[in-house]
Amino acid sequence: MTGRKIPLSIINSLMPVILALLIGGIIITMIGQNPFTTYQVLFQQSLFTPQGLAYTLHGAAPLILTGLAIAITFKANIFNMGVEGQFVLGGFVAGIVALYCKSLPGPLAQFICLVAGIIGGMLFALVPALLKKYFRVNEMVVTLMLNYAMATVLEFLTTGIFRDNGSGYVTTPMIPKSVMFPRFGDTHITFFFVIVMLVFIIMYIVMKKSVLGYEMTAIGKNPGFAEATGMRVGNKIVTLMLISGALAGLGGAGYMLSDQYSYTLNFSANPGMGWDGMLVSLLGGHNPLGVLVAAVFYSALKNGSQDINIFTGVPQEIIAVIQSLLVLFLSVKFISENTHVFDRIRSFFRKKSSVKEE
Amino acid sequence: MISNILFDMILYSTPIILCVIGGNFAYKANVLNIALEGMMLSGAFVSMFIVYFTGNIPLAVAGALVSGLLLGLLFSFLGITCKGNVIVIGLGINMMVSGIAAFVLRLMNSSNIYVKTINVSIFKVNIPLIENIPFIGKIISGHTVITYLSFFLIFVVWLLMYRTKLGIYVRTVGEDEDAAKSVGINTDFYKYMAVLIGALFSALAGVNLAMENLMLFTNNMTAGRGFIAIAAIYCGQGRPVTSSLFAIIFGLAWALSVDLSTYAGSASGLFNVVPYVLMTVVLAVVSIYRYKNNKMRGYKFE
Repeated sequence: MTGRKIPLSIINSLMPVILALLIGGIIITMIGQNPFTTYQVLFQQSLFTPQGLAYTLHGAAPLILTGLAIAITFKANIFNMGVEGQFVLGGFVAGIVALYCKSLPGPLAQFICLVAGIIGGMLFALVPALLKKYFRVNEMVVTLMLNYAMATVLEFLTTGIFRDNGSGYVTTPMIPKSVMFPRFGDTHITFFFVIVMLVFIIMYIVMKKSVLGYEMTAIGKNPGFAEATGMRVGNKIVTLMLISGALAGLGGAGYMLSDQYSYTLNFSANPGMGWDGMLVSLLGGHNPLGVLVAAVFYSALKNGSQDINIFTGVPQEIIAVIQSLLVLFLSVKFISENTHVFDRIRSFFRKKSSVKEE
Repeated sequence: MISNILFDMILYSTPIILCVIGGNFAYKANVLNIALEGMMLSGAFVSMFIVYFTGNIPLAVAGALVSGLLLGLLFSFLGITCKGNVIVIGLGINMMVSGIAAFVLRLMNSSNIYVKTINVSIFKVNIPLIENIPFIGKIISGHTVITYLSFFLIFVVWLLMYRTKLGIYVRTVGEDEDAAKSVGINTDFYKYMAVLIGALFSALAGVNLAMENLMLFTNNMTAGRGFIAIAAIYCGQGRPVTSSLFAIIFGLAWALSVDLSTYAGSASGLFNVVPYVLMTVVLAVVSIYRYKNNKMRGYKFE
């Protein structure tokens, strides 16, 4: 049974990728460009050169964290859509705290910044979690709304109180080089990637081997049953939301300290690292190992999008379109116990052939 | 001042009301449609796109409605026929519309679509007699066509929901799908209808937002109005009139945040938070009120 299940889930993740790239290719053809060269450029640089691969892994680090943040809640059927907000808050807080840690030794300053980011993300996740626990407010609606509120507040703080007046555009002051994570050699990979891998291993154990991981799956499958067997579903929801917020906050803080140098209004880009995390989690089937692979794949896609902007006539905005198509196709399980797409096709043809025989 | 705020309240309520009364059907049919946001954005984008290239306003409205319907069909096909996760599909559609809009804007080498030749004042309707009443005239008169239509549609939707076969069947399907199936109702058909009505109304909301009021499209201009509408639907539990009242409250919050921010000086940016925070608070209060006497353990997941 398990032997059959693993390839099935891989096919379920591969089919949408192929379909989305296919439709993306059709769009590229429609604007008069060659889809094959575009895709070649897209993946060649970002996956098959050492420098590009290192940059891809570097870009995958925050995605792994936001992906895990989404996976841990989606698995329990809680929809923490606030990962985006938690991510930017974590980044912002870390960016501001870093300014006050100038005189501290590097590792200590980085540790303080990361913790500050984690606390920021957790506090933001706490609001919908408590509302859900005590008042049964739909967490999805609340988090979606609070993302906008968070974006507005941070925009206000960046353009007002924390603005770097010496800069020509809206941004917070630059983080001193001593607080930023140093790079390994001439690659883009920093110590943050190591931290992410450690967190990944911890999360793998939590999700796969721990009691909490089991309870999470149970709540996701049937909250009524979980409650009846004595789990305190409300408390578990708060715990899961806090972990999710912490992961997202850490992602934001690490992204700030390993890549960004300062908080700009475009910190998380469009459509945002939190949403990318949702795609990564869906692509990985809410499974930690799947998230890891999906994050690297998606980072390659994002990384390569800059190359196609330079080397071909295709605007890099095509990636956002491909990404949304991916999400759409990933929402449907092509082969599963519920839909039986292939069985249906098979039975359809069987019917036809049996008609012929008659 | 007050009349200004109330006038703006009606102005900002309109798209939310349209999304709310459209989204009610999907809510009642137990298909949570969070793609309202994307459908609204597509209505805004397609209408402005067509106006920009043809200048033909009826064609633009028709195009926007068709784009909404197509998204509704996509949503229903993936969510109802293929039984996908509707929340993920909804977010996917939201991302897709914004992604396509960004892509097309990039191809047009522009950050927005703006039509100078058509003045938005042609959409404004001054009601002859009411216009002259001192205080009320200023508030009620001078809105756009779709604004008046949306308030009229609240009543139509109420009729549709409670007095027609379609509405009753949609509600039956939402309450107990198996029971509905057992008496021979084509449940998928009514779910499709519920989603499509929402898609149509949301696209209209987009037309109101972009074309009627501004003649301008910028990407992501809907700014979470679709999600606010979903909150209003939750607060009103899918009842058209109650939900619309919540939509008007959010419209008021929006008007307050915009009108008061002009007096706030440097803190004006912070006022934009008001609608979102108010919505969270209202949602919490409504939930507290609803579950006040609930002694049941456990959590129902939507």
